[in-house]
Amino acid sequence: MIRRAALVVVLLGIAGVPFMGGDYYTTLMLPFFGYSIALLGLNLLFGYTGLLSFGHALFVALGAYTAAYMTSVFGILHFEAILLVSVAVALVVAVPVGLLCVRYVKIYFGMLTLAFGMLFYSFLYKFYHLTGGDEGIRVLRPMLLGQSFPALGKVEFLTGPYYYYSLALLVAAAVVMWRVVGSPFGLCLRSIRENPEKAEYVGVSARRYRFYAFLISSIFGGVGGTLLAIPTGLADPLLAYWTHSGNLVFMMLLGGFANFFGPILGSFVFIFLQDQVISLTQYWRLVFGAILAVIVIFFPHGLMGVFDPRARAGG
Amino acid sequence: MLGGVFHAATLFLVAAGLQLVFGVQRIVNLACGSFYALGAYFGFSVVTWALKGGMPQPLLLVALILGGLLLATIGLVVERLLRFIYDRDESFQMLLTFALVLIFEDVIRFFWGTAPYQLGNLYLVYGRLQVGGLTIPVYNLLVIAAAAGIAVLMGWFLARTRWGRIVRATAENRAMSEALGVDMRRVYAGVFTIGTALGTVGGALVVPATAAIHEMGIDLIVEAFAVVVIGGLGSMRGAFVGALAVGVLKAVAIATYPEIEMLAIYVIVIAVLVLRPAGLFGRATA
Amino acid sequence: MPLLEASSLRKLYDGFCALDGVSLAVGSGEFVSIIGPNGAGKTTLINVLTGLLKPNTGRVLFKGQDITGVGPVKLARLGMARSFQLVNIFPELTVLEVVKVAVVSRLGRGGRLFSSLARDREVTEQALAVAELFALADKRNIPAKKLPQGDKKLLDVASAFALRPEVILLDEPTSGVSTREKHTIMEILVSASKEIGIKSIIQVEHDMDIVFGYSDRIIALHQGKVLADGTPAAIKADEAVVNTVVGRKTRMPERGA
Repeated sequence: MIRRAALVVVLLGIAGVPFMGGDYYTTLMLPFFGYSIALLGLNLLFGYTGLLSFGHALFVALGAYTAAYMTSVFGILHFEAILLVSVAVALVVAVPVGLLCVRYVKIYFGMLTLAFGMLFYSFLYKFYHLTGGDEGIRVLRPMLLGQSFPALGKVEFLTGPYYYYSLALLVAAAVVMWRVVGSPFGLCLRSIRENPEKAEYVGVSARRYRFYAFLISSIFGGVGGTLLAIPTGLADPLLAYWTHSGNLVFMMLLGGFANFFGPILGSFVFIFLQDQVISLTQYWRLVFGAILAVIVIFFPHGLMGVFDPRARAGG
Repeated sequence: MLGGVFHAATLFLVAAGLQLVFGVQRIVNLACGSFYALGAYFGFSVVTWALKGGMPQPLLLVALILGGLLLATIGLVVERLLRFIYDRDESFQMLLTFALVLIFEDVIRFFWGTAPYQLGNLYLVYGRLQVGGLTIPVYNLLVIAAAAGIAVLMGWFLARTRWGRIVRATAENRAMSEALGVDMRRVYAGVFTIGTALGTVGGALVVPATAAIHEMGIDLIVEAFAVVVIGGLGSMRGAFVGALAVGVLKAVAIATYPEIEMLAIYVIVIAVLVLRPAGLFGRATA
Repeated sequence: MPLLEASSLRKLYDGFCALDGVSLAVGSGEFVSIIGPNGAGKTTLINVLTGLLKPNTGRVLFKGQDITGVGPVKLARLGMARSFQLVNIFPELTVLEVVKVAVVSRLGRGGRLFSSLARDREVTEQALAVAELFALADKRNIPAKKLPQGDKKLLDVASAFALRPEVILLDEPTSGVSTREKHTIMEILVSASKEIGIKSIIQVEHDMDIVFGYSDRIIALHQGKVLADGTPAAIKADEAVVNTVVGRKTRMPERGA
């Protein structure tokens, strides 16, 4: 009961930011939606299935470049269409990558995913006639639900209609993910995380379920990436760099991987913390590195682990 | 081609450090690239300072190696930090080393800023050599020789000395080693510091021929991983062969079709991970 | 036709012969115990029988179908399950969830992505029913890792039983458990199998009291070969078995057919 109430309060709070927070903070919140969706996917892999991917940024970048291509190159501005294509692109890439990667676990999975992410990065960087190289490709303003809001300037669009669209998308994505992790499928994922050998003996194929989890997580990554690209207006290769994947993992750990809402909290805290720290010192990486170290050593369950030590993911 | 071997030489050092640490402690040290970068910058500073202090130029190599070794003491500090998570899941260990990557990135920024540092033509103090139709800086040859020497030294150390045997035994079977009375803490501290030293010396040696650039650590990590994957996790021989393979491949790729240079490495990494996950010499601990 | 049949199994590890021409057959309704000293090849045999290991030569037939090296997942679907010598559970899942995994798998509901597990009554009821057979129902919401050792073993077995297999292989079901609890566990196992309709039980066991107390047939393994295969009475009388398995001539348990 308290949880539901807290959720509603948080939702209302987020919805209220454009009115209370001013342009600066509202714009700051925009990546939160994209990252949260991407992280929900990443945590499906890690928190629920036990696979740590160091290449999730691959799908985030894919989503961003899809948006860039669709708007700049093909001139398709309907955001719904862009999102659908993003999902399709993510799936198309995730199938072969996933089939390869899920045959391995732990470090090898991490290294393989890292390698694929970097493969994409180098592709984006080198094939500049296709991808714009290190300059990237521009992402134009999309039409939301068929509306192009011509009267609104860039900031007004982003802090207004786009903000709420993103919020709605996050809520939808969260609902979908919540159902997935609470389903029989979700239980099978958790059983693989806990004990793959035993899971197989009970008839649950570890490789198969890991593959499905990978596919789903890639979709969430792609959608998140698309969402991220609109405010920046640019898709660039660094989105696929391995340290970006590392940051995603950081966010997930910061919020807490053992709790459904942990990653979302992590994304929020990371963004605001980064903003605050950058304004204080240029050595924000050092601060963040230290924070990550502290989390890994002392608070492996992240912030959610601190607030709600009982709460375990799923079910 | 020889440039490829030169690159391979320093890459080998870093990869050997990675392998040693992984083989014994089962930790994938993402910060090995950071040690490399730190070694480069510190090496640069040591040389510049030594030259100002009147060091004769030919002692360049010595200064670099000493600088690298000196810096390796941070390995002791880092190892103390890692002690907190020795019993945790591998993913967490990797994450802690990632935190170190972030931290070291800014440490470098703090001490040296973001502009690259070069030693100019200092390395030419050793002269050049004409081999066939090519002109090769002797410095590069010296570095290759040094790396080869270190490789041999490591091989001897691991195979012949008592300490080396302890290290290998611990790598094979940690529990057994402990049961036999080996002080795990000292072994780990020693191994990690040596691993760090390999990285810092590697970085230091590279500076005269190229430069100290602040992304060098992060960029190197992926190459080091390629080496480790191709050669096999935990194998010294693997580090050697893998480094050669990557170094030569890079050189060939740059010479022929520069665009695929980076791609080629990752494709190979992926291919190796798929076809022979244990690499050429590694143990299959998938 | 025997339910489970193995013919001339040979398994070599780098020159070491773990199984050297092992053949056996288990019929419907039988409770068979496999005994033998350590290193005799018992666990290897179980691994081969359950399709985890491929033998170098030989076949395993389940209901006449070749299941050699078929792998645990397929095996579960064909109707065979196993429990483990070292407790094998899902530590963070609750007791009920552990059993539910097997039920979900058996009902083929693993693909259901959007339906709520908690609201799936069929799964919950069936899981609870199995949990009750093993006296674990009142601990249903406790994380499996927090259970006492004996209960963990029961849970391991319970989740295997929840698959409603026709044949179940138990690898030392009473090991690591106090003598008092051993009989409790065995009684539970036997009555649960009747309830669930398991046709044959094969166990690897060291405790001779348990072996002679419950088995219809005993297979004695030694150095990868079948030393003897017969009723408890026959085994009792077999000197070779008594010497190798028991180690020296001791009083054999009086119970058992």
